[in-house]
Amino acid sequence: MRLYQKSLIPISGVIYGQTIYWLTLASSFLVLLGTIVSFLERSSPLPASYLLQSVIDGKSKAEIWGQSSLGNTPDMLFFLANPTYGESITMIGLGLGVSSVVPATFFASYFLRKSRNPVFAVIAVLAGLLTCLAISGAAI
Amino acid sequence: MQRLNTLKYIKSHPELFALLATTFCCYLFLETQIDGGAFGGQGALTSIDIIVISFVVSVIIAVVAVIAGVGGGVIFTPLLLAFTSFDTLLIRSTGLVVAMFSGLISTGPLMRKGLADIKLVLLGALPIIVGGMSGSVAAIYLANNFGEKSDGIVRLLLGLMLMAIASIFIIKSGTSDYPSHKTTDALSQRLKLRKTYWESSLSSFVSYRASNIKLSIGLFLLIGFTGGFFGLGGGWAVVPLLNLVMSIPIKVATGTSGVLLALGNAAAIWPYINVGALVGIIAAPWMLGQVIGGVIGASLLASLKASIVRALLIAILLSSSLKLVVRGIETLAGLDIPIF
Repeated sequence: MRLYQKSLIPISGVIYGQTIYWLTLASSFLVLLGTIVSFLERSSPLPASYLLQSVIDGKSKAEIWGQSSLGNTPDMLFFLANPTYGESITMIGLGLGVSSVVPATFFASYFLRKSRNPVFAVIAVLAGLLTCLAISGAAI
Repeated sequence: MQRLNTLKYIKSHPELFALLATTFCCYLFLETQIDGGAFGGQGALTSIDIIVISFVVSVIIAVVAVIAGVGGGVIFTPLLLAFTSFDTLLIRSTGLVVAMFSGLISTGPLMRKGLADIKLVLLGALPIIVGGMSGSVAAIYLANNFGEKSDGIVRLLLGLMLMAIASIFIIKSGTSDYPSHKTTDALSQRLKLRKTYWESSLSSFVSYRASNIKLSIGLFLLIGFTGGFFGLGGGWAVVPLLNLVMSIPIKVATGTSGVLLALGNAAAIWPYINVGALVGIIAAPWMLGQVIGGVIGASLLASLKASIVRALLIAILLSSSLKLVVRGIETLAGLDIPIF
């Protein structure tokens, strides 16, 4: 019975779920590390005290980044290029978590095609590509 | 008994236990070893207090959201828009983080147990992604071009929408555990949208077949847009859509909804990240709270009374919506209405 029970669960779904689960866990640890580093670091262009007070004071995103020592909005490339700052580690962690669906959809697509579900294999690839488009910023 | 089940679940997943313990130690360290006063604050609370409180509130929101079968965004975004002075764009981007992370962490277990359907997830994914990205871009356009006024418009519209959602929860409480499909949907047949899963409460297999596919795709698009625009996610709408329109059993509908929204919101959040509308240090405690609360909520799901959680959710929605409408009118009309 148990074997039959398991056989009803498609491998594409399991692969999809496990990929996201482990990447989300990894991203959680990164976000935790980033939080600790933010409060311990001595010098950073994006100090936690400044960011926290700005948000609490109700400043807009333009004011927060414009008045920071960076002077402009940092994008994900900035965070990747400066991975030792607390804010960078936190944003990389968040980015990893929200991007975990991309490899998951591609892996799922492969197994959907193998299990003779070509329509859903294509949809999975399209979903992954659309998310990549959103990540690239081309959608704005 | 249930506490034992939760502990057993976490113990059987050492990685979750490690995350839980590390998070607890991290926040304990911040509260006891770091001088909170050096990081600013508001009133009597230091910034570190606010971070820790955010984490605890996020855990509670995740537990309530998982048990009530809605995404956390529908609780988080209205509460913060109504009761804090944070920038609305920052709240909505963080709202998407709240809406998706409990879904992300539960994707693995739900797929492994067969309680989420990968085909239904992918069917809803494309319209939700397109709708969500359009909603995010529209929100950023509104904020860039209407300034202060856009805050008033967003608060007023969201307040009115939440009143409608709360009314739906009050009037339409009768979801069907195992809806029957009377008509055969040709597209559903062609796409083989049928499945059998093991229903442990019945100790038997349950089969279902999705229906009303074309209508559902249109509704997914609309849900994606509102979710991306307001930073709500869309769990409040996806579960009823899957259950009442597509005839999916409630358990699979709830599981599929979380997984689907995690995928849809992943695209919706990037326009916010790319314009700097997500601040890591602020989003971090909310994200961690959702991950841990999502695990606790999923393990408590079987024993807690859903009706109590539902009443709590309706109360939150109604009070938030009233406050949002008042604040929206205040901003747009330049009035001062003395209500709580």
